[in-house]
This record gives sequence, C-alpha cells and structure tokens, in this order.
Amino acid sequence: MTQTSIRDMLYESPGPKAKKRIRFFTGLALILLAALLALVIRQFAVTGQFAEKYWSFFARFTTWRFLGEGLLTTLEAALTGSAIAFILGFLLMRGKLRRNRILRAVSTALIEFTRGVPTLLFIYFFFLVVPKTGWKPSAFWKITLPCAISACGVVAEALRSGVNAVPRGQTEAALSLGLTETRLFYKVVFPQAFRFVIPSLIAELVIVLKDTTFAYIVTCADLMQNAKVLISNYDAMLSVYLVVAVIYILINYLLNKISDRLALKLRRTAAEGSKA
Amino acid sequence: MSIQALLTEYGDKYLQALLTTWRLTVISFAAAFLIGIVITVLRVCPIRPLRMFGDFYVQIFRNIPGAALLILLVYALPYLQIIFPYDACVLIATILIPSAFCSEHLMSGMNTISPGQIEAARALGLTFFQMIRRIIIPQALRSTVLPMTNLLVATMLTTSLASQVPMRPRDLTGLVSYINTRAAGGVAAFVISAALYCATALVIGAVGSLIDRKVRILR
Repeated sequence: MTQTSIRDMLYESPGPKAKKRIRFFTGLALILLAALLALVIRQFAVTGQFAEKYWSFFARFTTWRFLGEGLLTTLEAALTGSAIAFILGFLLMRGKLRRNRILRAVSTALIEFTRGVPTLLFIYFFFLVVPKTGWKPSAFWKITLPCAISACGVVAEALRSGVNAVPRGQTEAALSLGLTETRLFYKVVFPQAFRFVIPSLIAELVIVLKDTTFAYIVTCADLMQNAKVLISNYDAMLSVYLVVAVIYILINYLLNKISDRLALKLRRTAAEGSKA
Repeated sequence: MSIQALLTEYGDKYLQALLTTWRLTVISFAAAFLIGIVITVLRVCPIRPLRMFGDFYVQIFRNIPGAALLILLVYALPYLQIIFPYDACVLIATILIPSAFCSEHLMSGMNTISPGQIEAARALGLTFFQMIRRIIIPQALRSTVLPMTNLLVATMLTTSLASQVPMRPRDLTGLVSYINTRAAGGVAAFVISAALYCATALVIGAVGSLIDRKVRILR
C-alpha cells in the first residue's frame, strides 16, 4: 500500500454529473492559482526585482563556485554533526537500555534534555560561553557540535525503537545458544535495529542540515553565510536569498524522498517476512 | 553569576520570556493545526490542481530551514514592498513550517483507516465533505495524538527563531543571548532557560500520552 492510497479510495469513479462538477472546479482552481502566480510575478515586476543586475551574476561560474564552497561546508557540517549525533545517540541508547539504574536515569535525563531544548540555545552556548572557558573551537565546530548535541537525543530514541522492534524470540534464541549479552547485541540485535532506523536517521540528517543554517551566528562560511557575501557584493538581497532557499529545499527534498523510499521498502520486506 | 543572583536580577524578565515563548507556541500551533487540516483536505480532494498545490505547499515548508524562511520574510520581502513587523514575521515562519508537518501527520493518520469504512460510508451515500468531517478527520486526529504532541514540542523549539529578530518582549532564547551580551550570565543563564524549555516539553509530553491513552483507537 502506498502513501497516497487513501486519496484514491475516498471516491469511486465519478459519473457524468460529478465529472462535470470536477471539471468546473478544476478550471476554477486553475484560474485562482494562475491569478496567485500572476500576482507574485506582478509584484516582482512592479518593484523592479526582475532587473538584470539582480540575476545576471548567476550566469557567472564564480558565483556558483562560491555558493558551492558554502554548500560543501554546509554538507560537511551536517554530515559531521550527524555522525557525532549518531555516536552520542548510540551511547545514550545503550545507557537507557542498561539494567544499572543510575546509568539509565542519567541517559534518560540527557535524552529528554537534548530533545526539549532548542538548537539555537546550544549554538548560543557555544558562541557565548564556551570561548570564555579557554577552549576556543573553530567556527566550524561552534556550529557542528551544538547541532550534534541537539540531535543526539532524537537519534537515541530512534535507535531504541529500532532495538525494540527486533523480535524478542531472537534474543532468547541467541542467549540459549550461549552468546554473551555483548555479542548478542552487536551480532544479532543491533544490525537489524540499524536497518529499521535508517529512514529516521536520514530524516535526522535533514534536521541537522536545517540547523546548520544558523552558522551565520558563529560566522562559519556555510551556504547561508556565503550568500550574505554575495548579497553585499551585488546588492541583490531577494534573488540570492530565493536561490539559496531553493537549494536548501531541493537537498532536503531529495534526502526526505530517499528516506521515504527506504521506509517503504523496509515495510514491504517486513510484510513479506510476516507472511512467510 | 549564580542562578540565584540571575533570578533576583532577571527573574521577571525570565517570566516574561517564558510567557512569550508559550504565547508564540500556542498561537503558532493552533494556526498551524487549522492550516494543516485545510491543506490536507486539499491534498485528498478530487480537484487535481488543488491536490498539487497542497503537495507543493507541504514540500516547500517541510524542507525549508526555519532560518532561511525567517530571513526571507524579514529581509527579502520588503524588496517586494511586502513589509511585516518583526513579531509577525516570526509568527508566519513558526506557523507555516509546523503546518506542513501537521498535514504530513494527518495524511499518515488517514492511512490507518481501513478501506472498508470508506466503502461503507460511500454505500450509505455520504458526500465527500460528510465523509471527511465524520469519518476521516476524527479518526485521523485520534490516531495522531502522539505525533501531534511531538509537533507541539517541535513548534515550541521553532519559536526560538524569535531570538533572531529584535522582537520585544524577548523569548527564552533571545533573553539568554541578551543577558550574556550585557553581563557575564555564564552557564547559569542558559541553565534557567533550558530548564524552562524542558519543563514545558515534559508537561506537553505527559499530557499528550494521557490524551493518547484516552482516545487511541485500538486496532
């Protein structure tokens, strides 16, 4: 069953009358949407935002190279942040599933803390407080570390739900075969759990990538920061910010699409498995 | 500064900031919820252009970073002679983004409804809107209490965007950066704000799972 299935079950194939009505409203909707688009374009034209000077520099290679450099830093920060979030999240998940009560309580508290505090607060912490302690991380780490910390709680919970989704019988079987608990976890439970949660890990990558947009606070030369430089060079606020927003949207859209695909595939394999 | 010193000096400011964060969260969530429902209805209606518009809307606001949207609203839109005050810009951003996620949750909530119910409703002669109102929306809402609870927390976290514009009164994040640039508030200033955020999130989570246990449809 695909995601959109419910859409097509809501109504049967329309009769002649309904067809007419649908055609009428389709036309009406098209006119309204076209009017909306026309209004936007008119506003651009009236305010002179289509002027060549706002857009011509996008034809230059240097513009795209500069934006590309920023994008590379953005991706680097997002990937590094996600990797650190994964390691921290893994440790927290292990802690929360331990029998040791103190370890469990500490892990749970840390998970709830990182999930309940906005990324911006962590970023300001690394921006305003951390340098005063004598440790002076570079701009890159000042954005990457807070993003990672803010994501690790969510990653921990995702991993935990993956671990819980592994059938209990496998644990029992492995234990009765004489595996130690550590080997049981790394050889049997975790590989499967990891597969289950790959889609949510990719979704988390999107969240980290979005959070790195705040890199301008710590003046790390990411996509957004480089966009600002372009703006001051060409005095073209609207066009540059629009292009940058579209770049962000496209990347996140692609990542989300991949995540959805994988989730669908996993659900299918699971359904086949339960049938067999 | 110690937590106590901070609270005596900035106590009422923290209270005001907390109330600001709550106010932004409640307004944003309520508006995002209504828009989310409307967008979801558009996405399942039989009129193709409206469906496509709904899908487009969700993809845009699900994927745009909050900072990018806020910057567009605050700095770029005035070039189109569309000027909003700062707090309106923040609210627009914190409404549009959660509304897209709200619609996504409702869509997956709808997918838990069995096709038999739709067929039964059709056999009884319900119109499209009757079906939406009496069958689809109530069940979609009941099975999405937990995602919606998470969305409310996410909305609260998104309202920290308010710290990026000179908005008065400040929200919890804005207040911390204000205290730290004026005096060395240090770690304590952060701890207070973080604790207030966390406490709110925990209360929301607890109430959410309580409601979920009450209304969830066991299948």
